[in-house]
Amino acid sequence: MAEKKSAHLMGIGEEFEPLEFVVTPELNQQYLYAEEDFHPRYIEASGEGPPLVHPGILFNMSNNTRSPSFFLPPGWGEVHAAEETEFLNPATVGKKLRVTWKVIETLEKRGRPWHVLDIWIVDEEGVQIMRRKMTNTFASLNIEKKGE
Amino acid sequence: MAQIKQDTPIGTGFAGKPKKMSWERLWTFSGGPFTAQGWPKKNLHTDTEFARNLGLPTVGASATQYLGHMTELMIDLFGDEWLRHGKMSNVKFVKLVADGDELTSKAKVVSKEKEDRKIRYHLSISVVNQNGDDVLIGSATGWIPAT
Repeated sequence: MAEKKSAHLMGIGEEFEPLEFVVTPELNQQYLYAEEDFHPRYIEASGEGPPLVHPGILFNMSNNTRSPSFFLPPGWGEVHAAEETEFLNPATVGKKLRVTWKVIETLEKRGRPWHVLDIWIVDEEGVQIMRRKMTNTFASLNIEKKGE
Repeated sequence: MAQIKQDTPIGTGFAGKPKKMSWERLWTFSGGPFTAQGWPKKNLHTDTEFARNLGLPTVGASATQYLGHMTELMIDLFGDEWLRHGKMSNVKFVKLVADGDELTSKAKVVSKEKEDRKIRYHLSISVVNQNGDDVLIGSATGWIPAT
């Protein structure tokens, strides 16, 4: 098995392994509790189809830490620093969603690595659901100690 | 029903309901699916020791959890259609959100313009904690139909 590359070392153009997942009614309702948002649009079917997926799931499942290939060495953490989000279409409960992540920018600031990811969520019919540009920095106790 | 109307003036402010970042909600959001073995998964959002090993004073809520709060406010303002056209831009997470913090999403109309059959609104957005400190700042765009 190939060794996983640490997220903070990935370069421009490199991609994390995509994630596919289905939002069940139970998973949706888990996030309704987490988000304290019990609007019926997320619970009841409407004339247009099944309940909608709560946006909190879309955000959380499209964090790159959800990729099967995400890896950081022990003692390292990723910090979400900035965000751009476009909502393109609602996702519905029961459909398979696919998330892709591509590194589009890397930089170093104050001795820390940073990257910007282009993230897409698309459903099983190819409908674009959400696009994000997520900016992350990486923290390690080793870096902080060197800076002391 | 969207709260923003054609005659909503520039400068109008809106706020969502305050939400407490309790351990239960942190774990439920960031601990993985309830069905996963060993739930909740230990990470910097769910486990104090894990967070301290990274040099944090305590756990920090996932920023996506309160991005979800902000999205709820945007849907309240623009209706379900926001999920087809809404944008959040220049969003920055400027302060750690710890367990027990109480967050409120806020938005203010900074400009509006008529485009064909739409009125597009530009908002400044923020999420503030119980001390009045910003934890998220940025901007958002959405539109309502013009009649």
